[in-house]
Amino acid sequence: MIDLHGFGNQLLQGAVITVELAFASLIVGLILGLLGASAKLSSIKALQWIANAYTTIIRGIPELLTVLIIYFGATSVLMSVASLFGYEEYIEIGPFVAGVTALGLTFGAYATEVFRGALQSIPKGQHEAAVALGMGNVRKFYRIILPQVWRMALPGLGNLFLVLLKDTALVSVVGLDDIMRKASIAVSSTKEPFLFYSAAACMYLILTIISMVAVHYMEKKASRGIKRT
Amino acid sequence: MSKVPALELNDIHKTFGDVEVLKGISLKAYDGDVISILGSSGSGKSTFLRCINMLENPTKGEIIFNGEPLSLKPGETDLVAANMKQLTQMRQQIGFVFQSFNLWPHMTILENVMEGPANVLKRPKNEVKAYAEHLLNKVGIADKKDMYPSQLSGGQQQRVAIARTLAMDPQVILFDEPTSALDPELVGEVLGVMRNLADEGRTMLIVTHEMNFAREVSSEVVFLHQGLVEEKGTPTQVFENPQSERCKGFLSSTF
Repeated sequence: MIDLHGFGNQLLQGAVITVELAFASLIVGLILGLLGASAKLSSIKALQWIANAYTTIIRGIPELLTVLIIYFGATSVLMSVASLFGYEEYIEIGPFVAGVTALGLTFGAYATEVFRGALQSIPKGQHEAAVALGMGNVRKFYRIILPQVWRMALPGLGNLFLVLLKDTALVSVVGLDDIMRKASIAVSSTKEPFLFYSAAACMYLILTIISMVAVHYMEKKASRGIKRT
Repeated sequence: MSKVPALELNDIHKTFGDVEVLKGISLKAYDGDVISILGSSGSGKSTFLRCINMLENPTKGEIIFNGEPLSLKPGETDLVAANMKQLTQMRQQIGFVFQSFNLWPHMTILENVMEGPANVLKRPKNEVKAYAEHLLNKVGIADKKDMYPSQLSGGQQQRVAIARTLAMDPQVILFDEPTSALDPELVGEVLGVMRNLADEGRTMLIVTHEMNFAREVSSEVVFLHQGLVEEKGTPTQVFENPQSERCKGFLSSTF
């Protein structure tokens, strides 16, 4: 491996953190996105309202601010909630948990719209064919609807994942040891910004290329049986 | 012992907004009956068929399956099932074949047919597979079992849809204009399959525009006009000696 004044290993460790953060946020975001889309399409007004408030607020705030608000705000919120129950110790959420929360919320808000579009594109007859067989709603959702929604949503979700992967760099401001922070540390001790920022850029580029290839194969798999016209 | 009808519909009404599409339709189907429902477009025949298994909620009326009334309660605008479990169980025993097939595009032909018995009725996979293959053979597409719906013609897709319904061993099968979305040269293969089912003694309710077919296979023909039963009887009665002027007009315009 390239030595980079002894910081090569540090950057690789940072890459592991970056990938972990991206995947954890992806999982949180996918769940929030599906819930958000279901809520927006539900007939219950209160759920629609909550989902709309969620996507409006999160999409209206810069991601950097979301990270900062979650990191500093969650600590005080948690402590005041805990004090209601008589717990007075200092509680701190780490930068990783704050990062997953902030990036998961962000991914979820954008994914809500991707999933909503995909859910709406499933013809009514697909639901009816399942219902007419006496299939329950839960089974209908994961056997019939979800696989088709997944295929429709994949291109949009793949796009969002690339954005998420690079947004992980924002979490370095609250001290998470990801690629970005490791690079910054190396820059301040070696005074070689061009070298380390370029190295960091290469690492993000490699990660995004791997993601793009993975999404491409997932799209191919999800589209089997679907004729291309 | 008096025979209980397999399916009995009493005074079914359906309103969409201000329009009353069904104005009180009653019908009884006994085991082995093949009932064709005819009528011009807008007569309410598809809506009526869809009300039977609650794909459309009736605004008023009674649905009795094997002597057991489906419990309904008032919803926002029309009646909804009071007991989802009862409705689900009834749907498992009433097959439905759609005009637009509605096969699941992400599953192979075999998977489409197996889905119901394997995952809804929870029968053992190997039994279900053998049965599904038997049914595909019966509708004449055993060789396509590993293909996907998009690789099949409309007529083949509709035959798969029929096999998918048969796989549930339904007591009654409802056909909603099963050949209306097909190219004319593909209609015959689907009607052929349905004719075989009728010959087996299956109980079927068929909404159709295929007059010759209805005349040959039906035990009873019902003619709907503007949401009401205008004429009903044996095929001979309805086709050769219709009482209502509207039914006469409809038949002379279709032949």
